[in-house]
Amino acid sequence: MIKRLIDWLKQPLGLIAVGIALLAVFSFAAYGISLTQQPPEQPVQFPHQTHVAFGIQCLYCHPGAAKGPAAGIPSQAKCWACHNQIAKTETSLLLAPLKQAVLSGQPLEWVPVAQVPDFVQFNHRAHVAAGQNCENCHGDMSKVTIAENPQVFNMGFCLDCHKQVAGDDHEKLVKLVDCGTCHY
Amino acid sequence: MTDKFSRRDFLKLAGVGTATTAILTGCGPASRYVKREPYMLMPEYTYNGQSTYYATTCRECAAGCGLVVRTSQGRAIKTEGNANHPLNLGKTCARGQATLHGLYNPDRVTDPLQRKRGNVSAAKMDWDAAIQTVADAFKQYKPNEAAFLMGTSSDHLFDLVTDLCSRTGLNLPVRFGALSMFESRATLAKAAENLFGEAGLPFFDVGGAQVVFSFGANFLETWLSPVSYTRGFAGLREGQTKKRGSFIQFESRMSSTAGKADEWIPLQPGSEALVALAIGRLALEMRGGPLPRAFADIDPRTAAARSGIELETLERYAEMFVNSTGVLAIPGGAALGQTNGLAVAEAVLTLNAVADNFGKQGGVFFSPTAPGQEKYQRSASVKEMQDLVQKMTDGEIKVLFVHGVNPLFELPASLEFKKALDGVEQVISFSTFPDETALESDFVFPDHHGLESWGYQRVSTGSNQSALSGSQPVVSPFYNTRSTADVLIAAAQLAGGDFAKALPFKDEVEFLQEKVAPLLNEVDGYFSAPDINTFMASFQQYGGWWKNSDSRVIPNTADVFNRNLKAAEAEFAGEGEFFFMPFVSPTLAEAGANKPWLQELPDPTTTVMWNTWVEINPETAHELGLEDDDVVKIISEAGELEVPVYRYPAIRPDTIAIPFGQGHTAYGRYAEQRGVNPADLLGRHFNEAGDLAFAGMKVRIEKTGKKQPLSRLESIMGVYGVGLGEEH
Amino acid sequence: MIRPEEIKMSADESGKWGMVIDQDICTGCQACVAACAMENNISFVGEKDSGYGRSMHWIRIERFWEGEYPEVKMTPNQPMLCQQCGSATCEPVCPAFATVHSQAEQLNLQVYNRCVGTRYCANNCPYQVRSFNWRDYERPEPLSNQLNPDVTVRRRGVMEKCTFCIQRIHKAQDKAKSEGREVLDGEFTTACAQACPANAITFGRVDDPESLVSQLAKKRGHGIKHLEELGTLPNVTYFKGG
Repeated sequence: MIKRLIDWLKQPLGLIAVGIALLAVFSFAAYGISLTQQPPEQPVQFPHQTHVAFGIQCLYCHPGAAKGPAAGIPSQAKCWACHNQIAKTETSLLLAPLKQAVLSGQPLEWVPVAQVPDFVQFNHRAHVAAGQNCENCHGDMSKVTIAENPQVFNMGFCLDCHKQVAGDDHEKLVKLVDCGTCHY
Repeated sequence: MTDKFSRRDFLKLAGVGTATTAILTGCGPASRYVKREPYMLMPEYTYNGQSTYYATTCRECAAGCGLVVRTSQGRAIKTEGNANHPLNLGKTCARGQATLHGLYNPDRVTDPLQRKRGNVSAAKMDWDAAIQTVADAFKQYKPNEAAFLMGTSSDHLFDLVTDLCSRTGLNLPVRFGALSMFESRATLAKAAENLFGEAGLPFFDVGGAQVVFSFGANFLETWLSPVSYTRGFAGLREGQTKKRGSFIQFESRMSSTAGKADEWIPLQPGSEALVALAIGRLALEMRGGPLPRAFADIDPRTAAARSGIELETLERYAEMFVNSTGVLAIPGGAALGQTNGLAVAEAVLTLNAVADNFGKQGGVFFSPTAPGQEKYQRSASVKEMQDLVQKMTDGEIKVLFVHGVNPLFELPASLEFKKALDGVEQVISFSTFPDETALESDFVFPDHHGLESWGYQRVSTGSNQSALSGSQPVVSPFYNTRSTADVLIAAAQLAGGDFAKALPFKDEVEFLQEKVAPLLNEVDGYFSAPDINTFMASFQQYGGWWKNSDSRVIPNTADVFNRNLKAAEAEFAGEGEFFFMPFVSPTLAEAGANKPWLQELPDPTTTVMWNTWVEINPETAHELGLEDDDVVKIISEAGELEVPVYRYPAIRPDTIAIPFGQGHTAYGRYAEQRGVNPADLLGRHFNEAGDLAFAGMKVRIEKTGKKQPLSRLESIMGVYGVGLGEEH
Repeated sequence: MIRPEEIKMSADESGKWGMVIDQDICTGCQACVAACAMENNISFVGEKDSGYGRSMHWIRIERFWEGEYPEVKMTPNQPMLCQQCGSATCEPVCPAFATVHSQAEQLNLQVYNRCVGTRYCANNCPYQVRSFNWRDYERPEPLSNQLNPDVTVRRRGVMEKCTFCIQRIHKAQDKAKSEGREVLDGEFTTACAQACPANAITFGRVDDPESLVSQLAKKRGHGIKHLEELGTLPNVTYFKGG
């Protein structure tokens, strides 16, 4: 059965069909890859730029970044502490999901944007303490609504920076390029 | 395409296409498949990604070790010992570590249930109906028709039920646990009462001793307070007195405790009392002076002959009593679980009088009573359980409340608890897990897991300090469970009258506060507080309250030497040629079988995992024509069971041993239909203190011709694949 | 700027982290095994696979028999775990560089994302302390709630072994650094040492003569390093006692 199929594929029409099939697969793959590079759909089209424009510091909402591994998503109580007092919360369509979530006691299901794989142990604190600014990795939040990744978080991205930071400090370099620093 | 292009071929092609796409796209971040839910309201002292630690008390056994549980984002991640806690000083045993597999067990009871007894399927109820059911049960039956059967932890619930019962005239609650059955707690307490005029749990200062003689006490496994006694053992070896202490164990099978002994003496089962008295007499003779009455009647030669120990060996041990300081003798385990158990306990305790170690370093004390406790309370002996079973069978008990114990598994089958349940109109179980007893109940109103609960546990032994170990929820309840204390309080309010007056509390925490309030006035506490709220805050923070000073009690030994000790030998029930020695699995104990990582822990002596085995001396096995993994039938007068053979080099040729802990017919996927329960072989024979003579049976072995490979760790030290039959 | 390739490997490194295990007081109670499993998200494999020797214990208690009844003796319990060799036999055989030496911490690392499951390392380990994920072992919900977020959950086809609780090392280092100090001796310990009721396991810096491990090793003397003759430079010292 398969043999007959292969014979059929060897004739010109078959080759064209194979070509089209391959093209379809690759364009689907390309589309898939491009999807991974787009910001995902969020429950609220959260305008980072508006919040930054009000002068709110990153660490106000994501205080975990200075204290430990995870920056964290602010609790809904924190959102509500301000929004409760803002008249626009009542009228804005954008804010309706937040209002509904808070009043009904249901969590908003955010989709993480900046993520590393499970086998990477990333610690925000060390990076903040080393003087890295949030935008070095996460981009300029005053320019985006929902967060976007300005680059792919792969190992090359991490290591480039680690090597540069270490410079000529041998001990630091050993630590910063050690597999065990991130993978365990 | 041709019409012969089948669905199967299409799937093949489609598979290739999908795989290619997956390979090409799968390298992107997995983010789209993940959702993150923020806290509605972040709890105090919590940061995202940072752990919060809560002090609480382990409920895997009754010892009451302090835990500090690491939680992260509202989940319990790891249990660690509470370093401040006077009992365990920051250490835990394997069961304490695996308690999380109970908390997040996939087979927990998730909702209140009503069922037809024996049916696995059950109808869910809501809690209002559940509380109404309990309230109705209170009102519907006469006070003496209701009985509470409770486990050995937690003490706060026992206190609450005791208050309820004593104020309303209900039968006082009965406590039971298989561990206390195998520890022969009633025998120890009775012996102490006979010798020192006061019932209490003796504390043996292993850490301070120079020479330890243990008559069957498996204190490095599950006996009384294993973490504390293990610390004591380390002290013995490291030598707080700068010399490595020695340790001699008399036991017919080498337990993992005996495995650590310098000398293991496999004496004739039942001759422990003779040996203890003989050593005592020999030592007193060497020392000279008049022979006290206690040791007057024993003939060391007879003892040597009956026990199978050389007289020279006994003399050598006697010399240790004369020449060394800090000699300690411990009675326990199977030695007490014989028909002469009380005589053994008394003889061995009296041996300490020869060493004159009472109240001294390395000697015998009474454990301090816990704060707020007037005298030692012990759990029921099997004989007392038999009385309860009798009342149930006779229909005197119409409603039975069961909490924290699984009598259908833990009691010997010969007590016929299952039949007794038929005589009870209504059985209400508060079990967290779907155990055998919950399956045979009309209602299951699941309590929280210990890590989700409030409470306290009295430290009954193992600590020098008088201690009350505190529990608090480290995570919020995972399922629709409710604290049994809260259920009882609510039901009592609903029932009204005396019941409402008996438990006049808003909730469990208010009850706890009332119970610990008297400690506010105590001096010498680890902390003190001006008011109850501050006190409770510290109580939760430190994981309990204890005294700073050593509050062990020195026994009154005025009459010890003047008693008439019986040099009785044990009687064995049954016709078989083998002594039967059930022992508690050191890793599973009575309720560990449903925790997968406890199942995966190798037994310390045999390295067997996930199953039950019978230990037979290789010589005996050879004579019977038995190999490892051969399934044999063990027959006692009370029952029979089939179990694979493990040829165990360190057991008497006339003795066989089976661990207790497996053999569940319910209790979740990891426990069910796995191994056998040696309690099925135990007959109704008791010692004078009412404890079960669990080591007092003789059994027969029959070949079955079947094989069942045991999974054991030791095979990986050889070649891969040795262990389980054909390639797989 | 130094390139990573230029960092020299030296076989005679003194080691950094190490352990002292007192077999005389180890009771074989398995608390360390359970603690390790809970800390490091180790899968349980069930009866059948464990019978094949596929159980995933990172630490196991070995006991052997000596003599025959009644003169039979159980040898002192021997907790066996990755010895974090200074010159490890597992490392040079890995074709994927998944089994590598950490220059920073002087540990033998297993980099899960690189591992392709050749099992060469396990076969070349004289201590038999590496375990392989033969399957994606089932962990029915809600058991996964217990997983330690600091440790990668391994999947099928990946080798794993004791890490000396490297997540705790990093956590302690991170904390110390945030407080502007060095890590103190005894400030943290591995899960096994933390649980051990007999205190038979002590963990710390072997390159610091003042640390408790170094002091213990000196005080007790006659410590054994298993299979030292193979030149593996193990970092775990055993005391037989007795």
